[in-house]
Amino acid sequence: MATTYLRRAYSSFAVHILDIPPRLLAFLMFLLVLSLPVTKPTEHILLLLIQASIMAIFACSWDLLVGRTGQISLGHALFFGLGAYITALLWFHYDLPVWVTIPISVLIVTGLAPLIGFPCLRVKGPYLALVSMALPIIVVSLISYFRDYTQGERGIAGLPGFFPSLPYGQRFVAEYFLTLFLLLVSSVILYRIANSRTGIVFVSILDDELASKACGINITKYKLMAFTISGLFAALAGAVSAHLLASGRSVTTASLDANLSFMVVIVAIFGGIGTMYGPIIAAYILQLIDQYVLVKIWNVPSEYHMLLFIIVIIILVLKWPRGVAKFVTDELDDLQEEREIEERGKHIWKRYRRKKRSPTPEA
Amino acid sequence: MIPRTRKTLALTAIAAIVVIAAVAIWWYNTIPTAERGLTLLKTKSIIIFGIVSGGTFALLALGFTLIYGVAGVVNMAHGSFFMLGAYIFYVFTSPKYLEVNIFLAFFIAIILTGVIGATVYRLTIHPVIEELTSLLVITVGVALVFERLMIIEFGPFHYPIPGFVGGYETILGVKVTYTRLLAFSVSLVLFAALWMFISKSKMGRAMRAAAQDLEAAKLMGVNTGRLFMLTMALSSILAATAGILITASTSGIAMPFMWLRPLVLSFAIVILGGLGSIKGTFIGSFIIGFVDNIVVFLIPEGSYLGGAAAMAIMVAVLLVRPKGLFGKRIELEE
Repeated sequence: MATTYLRRAYSSFAVHILDIPPRLLAFLMFLLVLSLPVTKPTEHILLLLIQASIMAIFACSWDLLVGRTGQISLGHALFFGLGAYITALLWFHYDLPVWVTIPISVLIVTGLAPLIGFPCLRVKGPYLALVSMALPIIVVSLISYFRDYTQGERGIAGLPGFFPSLPYGQRFVAEYFLTLFLLLVSSVILYRIANSRTGIVFVSILDDELASKACGINITKYKLMAFTISGLFAALAGAVSAHLLASGRSVTTASLDANLSFMVVIVAIFGGIGTMYGPIIAAYILQLIDQYVLVKIWNVPSEYHMLLFIIVIIILVLKWPRGVAKFVTDELDDLQEEREIEERGKHIWKRYRRKKRSPTPEA
Repeated sequence: MIPRTRKTLALTAIAAIVVIAAVAIWWYNTIPTAERGLTLLKTKSIIIFGIVSGGTFALLALGFTLIYGVAGVVNMAHGSFFMLGAYIFYVFTSPKYLEVNIFLAFFIAIILTGVIGATVYRLTIHPVIEELTSLLVITVGVALVFERLMIIEFGPFHYPIPGFVGGYETILGVKVTYTRLLAFSVSLVLFAALWMFISKSKMGRAMRAAAQDLEAAKLMGVNTGRLFMLTMALSSILAATAGILITASTSGIAMPFMWLRPLVLSFAIVILGGLGSIKGTFIGSFIIGFVDNIVVFLIPEGSYLGGAAAMAIMVAVLLVRPKGLFGKRIELEE
């Protein structure tokens, strides 16, 4: 009896969890980041990587909502900021420990997400983008208005950390592993969701809403589901980041700021929308370029490096509108196709040339 | 009841106004006689400032709706042109840089912003005009670039924007500065001029054609690339005018983060009225102007809630009419 369950658990683990396409590559990269603290990096680098992991979770959740379901959201910091604020308020008013406030806040935001998604259901395209951008601004105004309860613009500082018993230097390493673990778990879950039947339904809504409705799909339910799942992980990222040393263990209205919403869009676009793994890589690369390469190696003054960074992003988006990762995978696909042609003979080559020349409308 | 057609919408609006008026009269009779003077003054302030700020908001949102209506571009950098107008105006009026006549400075500022707008359109927006997500990202990026440039050049400080004329006029016991009245009247004149331009001139006809059917307009020989660029220039000129007049008549300072609030306000107005509808923009801006002033005057410390109330009204209207008050109803396929 027990062995059957164990075998079933193992096979479901093997089929569902280990089935990430470039499996070995992902595993090796994970080993690389896992073994990084062995090289005794400075606190600055650890701080960067912790922030990058949080950004990666956040960008991944955005990618599920926008890249897979097509609900363009420019105010995703709403979920992030709500998660951060609720855990901070629970600590501030009820003095609860970290391991209680974070799950409660994630649960509350997950419960709120369908309510937030509800006004977004009726609108489409540019209207949706602008409405979603408006929602965090409403929340920021409410926080400023009820500043007796929420501390207003000053924010809430001095939140409890995760590992109070460890010495200061080791806390960074511990938090690094914690965020890495959370990133691994949430990205695997999001990837599995994105490639499950539900994920395919999400993509069908992105491709053609009317056609999927005609196929008998309850669009409302699936859109709300996308909002809820996406909100859950964004809230997780926000709630965890509020307690990290990397964010100074404080919450301000900056966690609901439009800049954060734009940042996640930039990260996801850079990595390739709808790939689910692209945003993770992009979060690390951009964070390292932004905070390390430009600051430490090239010594660019701090006013300029953000400017350079945004200009580079604009040029990248202009050059490859579908994202850098999509561009690379497309190139790889082309290479593979050419190799196949070399192996299988010239008649395929002719057909291939003809196909290339005639412009076929792409969906 | 959900108003589906324009007729039911108008009926609902009239019914709502009647109910509000009845409640207001009843409320006015309940308050004690000694406090009636203050309440009356507050009501008058709300009405006058609502009309004045509604008129100036119309100028702000007009450029946003124009470029969306003609080219289908959701221009997130609209607030940046607002900011650029104010900054260039500051440069040409302050004794620290170049001091010229204030009206000359105004014209230099709006024309320079127009040129910048056209350049931004050619370089960044034109290549991705088909893809909504790329477009949003690029225009947001442009807005952030301008914010950074202003921080690098001027620092995160506040700069004074001079008013055009001093003094104030007392209307029904409420003091309104001349700069504010100037902003209001310039806004109305520009609105009427633009309306005439779109309905009468050749380029306006081309704009309407492109808004109706892009492919057909191209087939009829409209150079849409050039048309969109000129529309963008016009839109940024309107934004810069709004930037100078609104900043001079309200806060009077220019700062690098001033682009977000006008952007959000123009969202609220334009979405309320329906994206791309000029009539809707006009009505939406008055609604938002009134809501803003009602919240500020009636709720204690209400200035914190000004933006939130505008947004809440916008979301509420969208729940009832997903394409705004005067937007097209949702077709089966986009």
